[in-house]
Amino acid sequence: MKKSIYWVILLALVLAFSSTAKAAEEIEVALLYPLSGALTEAGKRMKAVYEVAAEVINGSYDIKGVPYAKTEGIPNKGGAKIVLKFYDTQGSPEVGKAETERALQEGSAKLIIGAYQSAVSKPTSFVAERNKFPYLCGVSSSAALTERGLKYFFRVAPTDFHDSRMFFTFLDDMKKQGKDVKRIAMVYERTEFGVHAMKEVKKRIAESGGSYELVADVPYEYKATDVNAEVLKIKAAKPDVIIHATLFSEMTLFAKTYQNLGVKTNANISFCGGYQNPKFASQLGNTVEGYMGSCTFAEDFISKKAHLKQINEMYKAKTGMNLDGIAMEGFTTLFVAADAFNRAKDLSPDAIRDALATTALQIETMPGKGVKFDANGQNIWIDSTLSQIQKGDYKVVWPNEWSTTAMTWPMRP
Amino acid sequence: MDLTILLQLIISGLLIGLVFSLIAVGLTLIWGVMDILNFAHGDFLMLAMFTSFMMFNHFGLDPIFSLPMIVVLLFFIGLLTFRFVIKPVLGYPGLIALLATFGLSILIRNLVLFFLGPNYRVINQSILAGKTLSFGGLYFSLSQTAAALGCVLMTYAIYLFLSKSKFGRALRATALDKDTALLMGINTNRVFALTFGLGAACVGVAGGFLVNFYAVFPEVGLNFAILCFVIVALGGFGNIMGAFLAGILVGLVENVGGFFIGPEFKYTLVFVLYLIVISMRPKGLFGW
Repeated sequence: MKKSIYWVILLALVLAFSSTAKAAEEIEVALLYPLSGALTEAGKRMKAVYEVAAEVINGSYDIKGVPYAKTEGIPNKGGAKIVLKFYDTQGSPEVGKAETERALQEGSAKLIIGAYQSAVSKPTSFVAERNKFPYLCGVSSSAALTERGLKYFFRVAPTDFHDSRMFFTFLDDMKKQGKDVKRIAMVYERTEFGVHAMKEVKKRIAESGGSYELVADVPYEYKATDVNAEVLKIKAAKPDVIIHATLFSEMTLFAKTYQNLGVKTNANISFCGGYQNPKFASQLGNTVEGYMGSCTFAEDFISKKAHLKQINEMYKAKTGMNLDGIAMEGFTTLFVAADAFNRAKDLSPDAIRDALATTALQIETMPGKGVKFDANGQNIWIDSTLSQIQKGDYKVVWPNEWSTTAMTWPMRP
Repeated sequence: MDLTILLQLIISGLLIGLVFSLIAVGLTLIWGVMDILNFAHGDFLMLAMFTSFMMFNHFGLDPIFSLPMIVVLLFFIGLLTFRFVIKPVLGYPGLIALLATFGLSILIRNLVLFFLGPNYRVINQSILAGKTLSFGGLYFSLSQTAAALGCVLMTYAIYLFLSKSKFGRALRATALDKDTALLMGINTNRVFALTFGLGAACVGVAGGFLVNFYAVFPEVGLNFAILCFVIVALGGFGNIMGAFLAGILVGLVENVGGFFIGPEFKYTLVFVLYLIVISMRPKGLFGW
């Protein structure tokens, strides 16, 4: 009798452990980001934000408006935990392709998330498409990425199209108020990101029917040592508004050169890039006072949506910085993945792809309703706002629905 | 065409060209004496910029005041590089030393990345940063003007040192014929060590000034190094005056050519100029 009790206890323990093992089942996600090379800083920030997102999904947090925060793991998959595996693209399309192949060959990941630059997202997503493997793009903004007719590619972030449309709606608004905005200068790096941002601006100008004029078209080489010629070209064109598609290193160089060469303009507006790096405002101080840019997250949003404070604090504990738009897009991206895992009938690439295609995730992390993809895989529920640097902080200044502070116009009175 | 814009282009080209010159002078000095192309030269520049930034950030020491310390520090880094990286491979084919400096470059960059992180750092409150002088519509950035003057002075000091001092004569003799110099009683290893120190000190000066107007990050040296390799080849390998003038030429071509032909082609123009020059003068403008 005593012996059989031992057997029952042993059996119970085995069952308990096996159920724990089942509950602790893991779903691996491969993430392609630049963790070395010139864009390491951006890549490390993205790594931190994905780790925070995984912590929220795998743990239990009371965050309003964020599905999968309260539950532990993926509810419909027995509480399976999300495990992140990072692959270093070094910011290079070639290395990115090789790392994608490696992730696919290893075979343990159920989904690929990547990449930071559009120029890397493009070839890496082709590799995934060729292997019929789902690819979720967090932050790359080139509109062309979702114009390729890919079946396994989905993007959460707004594109250059959304940003350019927002910029020109804003400029229309300024024009109605009698402000000078007609003469536009466009400055962009000669990469996938910059060139497509430029094309979108050109389209918006063409659509305006003569309301705007492109007075300077200034491409420049990524990793520039100086930008004097570029800035003097802009200065000679006397623009009312300068629009930038520029990453951090060159953005600081441009800002300093504008100041050094006495360039005056009404507004300096940036696509998603160096402007959004919080260090741009904190380290350059007065030099960048009044600069504006697209923004899917600013500290200001916390006063509009208090539940974001908790996420911001978790991110700040890891990086020492506040969340910015790009980081918030990354954060939201992992929740889209969690939602797809939850709804997919199994964890095969096709089932996850089908689940992504039918996403309708209402999540209150960014402007807009949440995430829903169109036939091309582009999120159509996302919106963007315009922020301005005021005394070293990013303040949302447009549209009124989101703004918390009055805008400074012109940027240098 | 506004005349002030043209003049501004020339001024800006000269100012940045002089900074290129000094970085290239350090590189060509090492090549001229030792026939070694130092691939870690850009990383020495990065170390100088990081040190300057940290002295400013942690001790409030303005880059202009920390400059002498940075020059001395870089000089010793140059000496150590020679002692532990170059000296062990002297006497072997040149490619070995070249690969050793290439390895050193990767090591320095990754150590900085590991210990200091990948973040971009900007100095914006120093004595020189963000200040501009304006005369008749022309703008002179104080930080770039000071950098250009500093670079001219340093290059002139190097020139005087090489042409007037006893050590300078020993260095030139070693550059001309190492074996004969050795027979004449010149301690060539000492000459090599000091040459590496001087080359590194040159980028120390350039880095100490650059930090006032350029972001500091582990990869920053690469942006300048590639251009400086072209400048060294353009001016003539080992020719200090050649590197100095070629640096100015590259700055002018980049700025004036970039403005008129298109900023996206400014580096292309530099490389086209380089190809034209070496096809006509394979040893560079001032090579012999």
